[in-house]
Amino acid sequence: MSQTLQDAYIVNAFRTPVAKYNGKFKHIRPDDLLAHALKGVVANNPELKDRVADVIIGCAMPEGEQGMNVARIATLLAGFPDHVPAMTINRFCSSGSQAVALAADRIRVGEADVMIAGGTESMTMIPMMGNKVALNPKVFEDDNIAIAYGMGITAEKVAEQWKVSREDQDLFAVESHRRALAAAEAGYFNDEILDYDVNLSFLKPGQLETVQQEYTVTHDEGPRPGSTIEALAKLRTVFRADGSVTAGNSSQMSDGAGAVLLVSEKILKEYNLEPLGRFITSSVAGVPAEIMGIGPKEAIPMCLKQAGLKQDQLDWIELNEAFSAQALAVCNELKLDREKVNPNGGAIALGHPLGATGAIRTATMMHGLKRTKGKYGMVTMCIGTGMGFAMICESF
Amino acid sequence: MKKRFEKVAVLGAGVMGAQIAALLANMNVPVILFELAADEKDKNALSKQAIKRLAKLKPAPFATSNVQHAIETANYDDDLLKLKECDLIIEAIAENMEWKKDLYDKINDFIKDDAILATNTSGLSINQLAEILPDDKREQFLGIHFFNPPRYMHLVELIPCVTTKLEHVNSLEEFLVTSLGKGVVVAKDTPNFIANRIGVFNLIATIHHAENLNIPFEVVDQITAKPLGRPKSGTFRTIDVVGLDVLAHVVKTMQDNLSEDPWHGYYQLPDYIRTLIEEGALGQKVGKGIYINKGKQVFSPKEKQYIDANAQVDETLADILKNKDWAQRFNTLKDDDSEQAQFVYRMMIDLFHYCCFHLEDIASNAADIDFAIRWGFGWDQGPFEIMQAIGWSNVIDAIEKHIYTDHAMNISELPEWCKAISEVHQTGGSWSPVQKTFSPLRNNPVYARQKLRENVVPIKTDLGSTIFENDSARLWNQNDDIAILSFKTKMHSINEAVLDSVMQACDEADKNHAALVLWHPTAPFAVGADLTQVGDELKAGNVAAVDAIVAKFQQASMALKHCRVPTVAAVQGMALGGGCEFQMHCNFTVAAMESYIGLVEAGVGLLPAGGGLKELALKAMQAAKGGDLFPHIQSAFELTAMAKVSASGIDAKQLGLLDVRDTIVANQHEILHVALHQARAMAESGNRSPRSDKPIKVTGKTGKATLMMLATNMLEGHFISEHDYKIAEGIATTLTGGDVESGSMVSQDWLLKLEREHFVELIQTNKTQQRIIHTLKTGKPLRN
Repeated sequence: MSQTLQDAYIVNAFRTPVAKYNGKFKHIRPDDLLAHALKGVVANNPELKDRVADVIIGCAMPEGEQGMNVARIATLLAGFPDHVPAMTINRFCSSGSQAVALAADRIRVGEADVMIAGGTESMTMIPMMGNKVALNPKVFEDDNIAIAYGMGITAEKVAEQWKVSREDQDLFAVESHRRALAAAEAGYFNDEILDYDVNLSFLKPGQLETVQQEYTVTHDEGPRPGSTIEALAKLRTVFRADGSVTAGNSSQMSDGAGAVLLVSEKILKEYNLEPLGRFITSSVAGVPAEIMGIGPKEAIPMCLKQAGLKQDQLDWIELNEAFSAQALAVCNELKLDREKVNPNGGAIALGHPLGATGAIRTATMMHGLKRTKGKYGMVTMCIGTGMGFAMICESF
Repeated sequence: MKKRFEKVAVLGAGVMGAQIAALLANMNVPVILFELAADEKDKNALSKQAIKRLAKLKPAPFATSNVQHAIETANYDDDLLKLKECDLIIEAIAENMEWKKDLYDKINDFIKDDAILATNTSGLSINQLAEILPDDKREQFLGIHFFNPPRYMHLVELIPCVTTKLEHVNSLEEFLVTSLGKGVVVAKDTPNFIANRIGVFNLIATIHHAENLNIPFEVVDQITAKPLGRPKSGTFRTIDVVGLDVLAHVVKTMQDNLSEDPWHGYYQLPDYIRTLIEEGALGQKVGKGIYINKGKQVFSPKEKQYIDANAQVDETLADILKNKDWAQRFNTLKDDDSEQAQFVYRMMIDLFHYCCFHLEDIASNAADIDFAIRWGFGWDQGPFEIMQAIGWSNVIDAIEKHIYTDHAMNISELPEWCKAISEVHQTGGSWSPVQKTFSPLRNNPVYARQKLRENVVPIKTDLGSTIFENDSARLWNQNDDIAILSFKTKMHSINEAVLDSVMQACDEADKNHAALVLWHPTAPFAVGADLTQVGDELKAGNVAAVDAIVAKFQQASMALKHCRVPTVAAVQGMALGGGCEFQMHCNFTVAAMESYIGLVEAGVGLLPAGGGLKELALKAMQAAKGGDLFPHIQSAFELTAMAKVSASGIDAKQLGLLDVRDTIVANQHEILHVALHQARAMAESGNRSPRSDKPIKVTGKTGKATLMMLATNMLEGHFISEHDYKIAEGIATTLTGGDVESGSMVSQDWLLKLEREHFVELIQTNKTQQRIIHTLKTGKPLRN
């Protein structure tokens, strides 16, 4: 079991809605999305702004609009004082939850009392692999060719190795959409989502003046009513000609940001705060890059062991659905209770803004546990180039 | 002042109207497509939907995908004022006199005084339509008949009515020829005009004799195709493509409007075609017509069902048709009693009879019928050309004898002029029964742009003075100082002799001329390298000789590029592989809109090694302008590894196979004119060829690795074979400069060396050899 000097409490966890690639956030910069989430987590306790020891932000493709240490830029844009530092970290898809773990750890070792963690990503603005792809030629010289594989190929390899059928993948995707739509309909996301006001400026067609376009984004854009097994079965495979992975059973490319406010017990008392829960532990493990999707299979038991918990003590599992293929392979291998995995749907429906997802799903899990009066929850995901991450929190 | 067509409106977004709008948009003519107003939400929804449908149509109406956004949409409720901006209004609504009248009434006040109103009709009388217009608009009115698909069919018939102002006919003809690249025939206002009148009669005659002589349809299709100098779809497959219902409509027009015609009794389709139409077997559009099952089965009128289409042409007939001499062919057919031979003979002679009988009524002269059939039905030669090739008097005698036999379709006497002349086409012109003399081709000044204007056989066009000529090529000029090199090989493929001729031509131009133009009288520009010699050397195990041939190819390319006088390529049709490389190395390219350009070597298991990859690497460096080079190299990699071919001249620019400054010309007959002017301008400007010692910045090892990452995913995704991967590796190595550091500079010679090395390596592999053999045999690529 892991050692802790003091507990790290989660006071707030908020996120923006997640928009589709080229969707409602098409023109919204990821640093603006992040600044919005950062403002959100301190909105109820503005006095804490001054006390933040560090802001740790995950981002998977930290360049262009989300480059230049986007954490520091967004922190300043959000109106935090100059003395609040910030750093951007990158462990691809787990970056947002890795940031939560790192921030918690700063508190747990007693070196910080107020931390903010989060993540941001605009896949619309920064493509997968970034604006400039430049592979090291050495990957072809030894056994590292899997570094060159696209994520879809790794999903095909997982599907092949763990025998996940096309039909099962499509059914899983249909269920993800069903759950996401039901959760949205029931208002389950309302407590975690920070509405985002969009104000855009365009040239009026045929005229020499600009026109403002204004709207507020209040819901995730990804869930698709009418996603049926029949419709999904018609889609062509995109990564392998004779494979099973389609656009319909893969996560959606998205834009979004999330942030989590963590504090020590001292701060809880000083400000009389009511926390959502506490951070317990996190783990990360490596697997072969060509089957990166299986990563959580290694990370989850490790994390449970560190927490001293049994799998069935978990009430809520946010298992990122990079692909149906890998999510199902992990579920099947570890015999995860499918009712507890992604009760509100997952990335196939809700979207997967890479480095932001971990922070976003932390918010979903903490609010979900609170609503359902669950105790232990986990956020876990696979990571490109072959890793798995898992993190356990307790809800009060 | 010359009339300008600044903006054009097309009324009616049906299949023809929308495609005509696309043709205009391809040529960068501002065009507004009108349709009925849809619901209040988006009143232009109907014309927008029509444009969307076009994007899916095959063959593609759009020259490149983004052309579709250039068409402005409009509706008759809100946008009639926009007609006032238009110099040409093409009305292409349904063939219904009442609807047309309603529309004309509606738009009448919005037509500019000097605008032309043209009705695209294939059935209605232009003079009758003119009568539903107010008096003051009738001189602006005429008929225009595009053929489907309008982008690809060369023919446009113009049908003036009695009131049409002559200058409108001439200015529209000029616009159609130069701006849209069309071949114009001016027709008289008779039902179905010229091309459909003759072409459809030919179908009727073919069907008639096939039925009488029991010739299976698939045999008819084999005969009435390439062996007779016609499109490969033959007769019944063409009917399937056109649509049985469309054919029925055209035939009905003839039936309704040609009651005086001696052939009137034949203007109906046989019962089985009517039955097929009733059963919904309308042809290709529904996947079922005369043929089903992708042509594997054909309808048998006897058995009243589809049967396997496996009948063959008699060997004797096949032999007769192999002889391309029309006179010998004709005489042999006449005396051959076999059913298939008699089928061909009777079908042709009835067509000749019909053409002679109706010439006076429907056309100005015999050449107009020949052009109409060539351009509208894709025949190599029109009926009068064939008659002249057989021997005019011989044919006339044969017709006279034929009409007294029981199998003649009609017994009408030939017009007297037939016996009065000894040939129908002469140097000065073609026979005009109305003028009772030989009348010349139309003399619109636009044709001065066609240096070697298309003419009816056997009239020889002036091919200038020869500078040198051998079996592979001819260098010539038009008695000035610009040399023109034309290949003589089949499909203008490039063999070693062509390479020698190119270098000799460059040398000659360098010494004695102001510029060199690479142009051939007919498409294609060049289908690539002739690999026969390379194959022979390989069989003999002479790898060094293969390397030497590739090196010579590169020398020829470099000679074109670095010749001390300007070199200009005039491209039409396919410019593939080595052909593409030649045009890339010329200092300038003038390309017809209908140009299909590509570095397709990967398809036969090779890579471009005539300097093509080197040129792409050079262009990438220039396009990057010091910025990130890799995306440009990646485009070049995808272009060549996937062997992409441009859908048009403008598409070739987008793909980077033509330079942005290269010129696209709508009409392929005008490319020589423009190329000569371009060459002249470059020569006059003191043009100097690009330097061959200019170093090229490359992406090196990292670039190659990143390209191979793409290939690796294609391989892992089972989208490409191991051999495709190997080819891709050769292309990636060459484009990136291979085993050098990213961002370093290499010489052009280094990239040429890499091209050669990989070419020689690939051509020695079994899989590449299998691909080459397969492609030479079948004309199709082999995936292995």
